[in-house]
Amino acid sequence: MFEGFTLLGAGIAHFMTPEGLFNLAWASLLGVVIGALPGLTATMGVALLVTLTYKMPPDQAILCLMALYVGAIYGGSRSAILLAIPGTPASAATTLDGFPLARAGKAGMAMGIATTSSALGTLVGIAFLSLIAPLLAEFALRFGSYEFFWLALFGVLISGRLTAIDDPLKGYVAGLLGLLVAMIGMEGLHAYQRFTFGISSLGSGVDLIPAMVGAFGFAEILGVMKDRITPKLVTSDDRVLPRLSDLTRYWRTTIRSGIIGTIAGIIPGVGEDIGSWASYAAARRKSKEADQFGKGSVEGLVAAETGNSAVIPGAMIPTLTLALPGSASAAVLIAAMFIHGIRPGPMLMQENPQFLYQIVGILLLSTIAITIYGLSLTKLLVRVLLVPREKLMPVVYVLCVVGSFAITQRMFDVYVMVAFGLIGFVLRQMRYPMAPLVLGIILGDLLDVNLRRGLLISDGDVTPFFTRPISAVLFAVILITVLMSMPAINRGVANVFKRFSPNGAN
Amino acid sequence: MSEVTPEEELVERRMNRADLLTGIVFTVLGLAIAYWSWVMPRLEVRGIHPATVPGLVPGLLGAALAGCGIVLAWRAGAQGRDARFTEFFALFNQPETGRFAIVVTLALIYALVLVGLIPFWLATALFVFSFIFIFETWASPTPKPLARAALWALVQAVIVAGLVTVVFEDGFLVRLP
Repeated sequence: MFEGFTLLGAGIAHFMTPEGLFNLAWASLLGVVIGALPGLTATMGVALLVTLTYKMPPDQAILCLMALYVGAIYGGSRSAILLAIPGTPASAATTLDGFPLARAGKAGMAMGIATTSSALGTLVGIAFLSLIAPLLAEFALRFGSYEFFWLALFGVLISGRLTAIDDPLKGYVAGLLGLLVAMIGMEGLHAYQRFTFGISSLGSGVDLIPAMVGAFGFAEILGVMKDRITPKLVTSDDRVLPRLSDLTRYWRTTIRSGIIGTIAGIIPGVGEDIGSWASYAAARRKSKEADQFGKGSVEGLVAAETGNSAVIPGAMIPTLTLALPGSASAAVLIAAMFIHGIRPGPMLMQENPQFLYQIVGILLLSTIAITIYGLSLTKLLVRVLLVPREKLMPVVYVLCVVGSFAITQRMFDVYVMVAFGLIGFVLRQMRYPMAPLVLGIILGDLLDVNLRRGLLISDGDVTPFFTRPISAVLFAVILITVLMSMPAINRGVANVFKRFSPNGAN
Repeated sequence: MSEVTPEEELVERRMNRADLLTGIVFTVLGLAIAYWSWVMPRLEVRGIHPATVPGLVPGLLGAALAGCGIVLAWRAGAQGRDARFTEFFALFNQPETGRFAIVVTLALIYALVLVGLIPFWLATALFVFSFIFIFETWASPTPKPLARAALWALVQAVIVAGLVTVVFEDGFLVRLP
């Protein structure tokens, strides 16, 4: 117990250097700006920053990336409140009550509440991160090839299921496409080159960073530029600093939303947007003023902003302990960690226990940074929102090109970025979620190698995949997830429950 | 349940046709991948365990993709009795498609042709200038006067090209294309 506190103190102190504080300050501010600008998302920002920070020492590079991530998820609330356009998908639920509040002349108050709620949400998530991650890492030490195979499949499927609520089939297709992309290039067991079609650059496979820069950067530029509407800004000069009573009145909502957000973060590939929607829906169900939701309810705003920010620390739990990305941005973070020689997974707590507490330290410091920026820089951020997209998007595209070229210095990676941008745009237009695709790319190798290694150990026998206790549980969860997403089975199960419930028997 | 507007119905009918087409594409792609995986060398000469052939996982994934594609296409076919392909293809005649085509053309010319052919700063300046200029004049619902748009686009193009080159090469020590 005390060892944990000592490590946590060391984690925070590690970054209390002039260099650390300087990096924290610029990266979190850049994150807030990126988040606030519609069309620039957290994932894209993190992916682009990986290329800029890859010559930095590992701890400082991760500090910059995490600070930008936290800043961007918070920054999205600014445009949600003032423009009614979520700056990142994470703030979609914030728009529902944030914008009506701004129109009622309470823009300052809405921005203040969004800031404090984001900070509190991150704090709730951090508490769970430092409690759960060490336990999960210890538990995960029992995992073998069989379990890791199911875990990789589970990650892709659950992400596909939950990011495409209306049409899980499209989520699964996105996941399968991602897994298939990961099959390109040299495989990990016999060093055989698959699906390269004679293109030597494909031999090492498709790198995640250019693919992400394309799918989240270029695709987003195409989406933003396509539409002809120009948004209108609504702002007011009321007080930004929230009163203490505003914060304490909704403490139940804050804690509930923080827990829901953390859980959404822990579920692989389910990100801030789902955390925010789920918290919002739960708050509306429990609220005494449910009729005010969507018309400018402070409680709704609290729920949405607490929910999306709590996802970040939540997402770091599987990311650090299982190398299973908790969100799309966390997938980029995993790629960045590998670039810097940090190997997330069950062994991380054995090899590098202080790293987890450094992440906790970074999250705490970033929370302080966004609170300071959020409550003080209102005028500057309003000015940022006024930058026209015609002027902004070409610059972003230049950064996408430079960003995908920079790491390996191959033009091939620029082509990968362009291809993923176009494919990502088309898939998005047809309502395919991007998170399962990303998870597929990052988990494909884990799934492939562990399935075949498992079969090798068992001499071709598949029974251990179903009889080992943890494997059996994972398999059962996967089976239920897939079966329940089939409309016919879902209806059948619902009918059975109705028949046996005392109220529904008629 | 909220009312469904005619506009939303049109979007759904178009989505239905898109699903039918992509369902067929995914089926064909999945089957092709499964076939390539089947004919992939099984490395018998190296004496590997037959359960670990390189084509195993891609083959299974290809088959799963084909399965999903069949379900997607079948579902779209069953649900979309009043959906028409003419409505779907009308999508390509909209002003949004024109704007999309401009962005793609500029982006592709910049990334695939200009970068690498001429110095990076010049390519970037040209790209930024044409992007801003086109979207503030011809492609804008409220076009600006040509001369003013050109001047400001030029100023921003020079600043961006200069800044990106200096910041990346000297600040972050990244080599540029």
